[in-house]
Amino acid sequence: MAAEMDKTTKVGIISCSGEEIPEGTISRSAVRRVLESLRPHETVTLCLPLFLAGNEGERNFARTHPVITIDGCDKQCARWGTEKHGGPVTRALVVTDILGGSAAGCARSLRSRGPADEEAVGRVAEQIASAVDEILEEDRPAEGD
Amino acid sequence: MNKDCGKVLVIPCSGIGKVHGLISRESAYLVTDEVAPDRTDVVCLALLVREDEETLARVRAHPCITIDGCGKACAQKNVEIAGGQVVDAVQVAKVLTKHRGSQPGSGSDLTEEGWAISREIAEAVAEEAERICAGEEVA
Repeated sequence: MAAEMDKTTKVGIISCSGEEIPEGTISRSAVRRVLESLRPHETVTLCLPLFLAGNEGERNFARTHPVITIDGCDKQCARWGTEKHGGPVTRALVVTDILGGSAAGCARSLRSRGPADEEAVGRVAEQIASAVDEILEEDRPAEGD
Repeated sequence: MNKDCGKVLVIPCSGIGKVHGLISRESAYLVTDEVAPDRTDVVCLALLVREDEETLARVRAHPCITIDGCGKACAQKNVEIAGGQVVDAVQVAKVLTKHRGSQPGSGSDLTEEGWAISREIAEAVAEEAERICAGEEVA
């Protein structure tokens, strides 16, 4: 990779926007939960529309930090955009892979959310948090280094 | 009403960092699911930027209304780059200046005020969609 990874700092998370499907909303909500509750000190989010629109601050962060993309469907727009403009991603998660068909009863809008949405967001958020832990563990210098 | 008008596409930015992005997203759902479901449809911005052929074709064939959270106008810019016609560009930040002192919520959830502002935006977008189709009928 052209730019050297920053080994001491945060993991970037980029969510797809996924407005057309419930999995997009699950993706967005799960990322927010990781940022606010599960790993608030270890993560930051990058705004995908801003990233894709050419914002150099967002793109430079993606070039110099480990990044997880979280996509609603297998078209993986967040991963595609990140790799096109920022380089390889460290982990690429897909909501439909994590949940299988269990997002079928979920809603696109937060005003219609229910227990199924809550469970789906929780499961995806835990997967993201685990990926963050793995990345930070991989980046941690071995004792004696 | 012009039956050939088809649907007006509503494209929010869904910016994840602030409440502005969430208002843009929920406003789009209010328009397309509740206020004007027969006249409008939502489009996934990421899919558009991903250069998905079906999405590109839809955006190029229908009038588009973008709802952006901030002045960076990512949704508007990306629709224009894709060759779509943006007939109206809403910015949540500008709408919020009319609600000085309001507490609309966060990037994760909206307060009652936030939902009211989202509905205000949705109704304005629905009116614009109706006007666009009426205009096409006259043309």
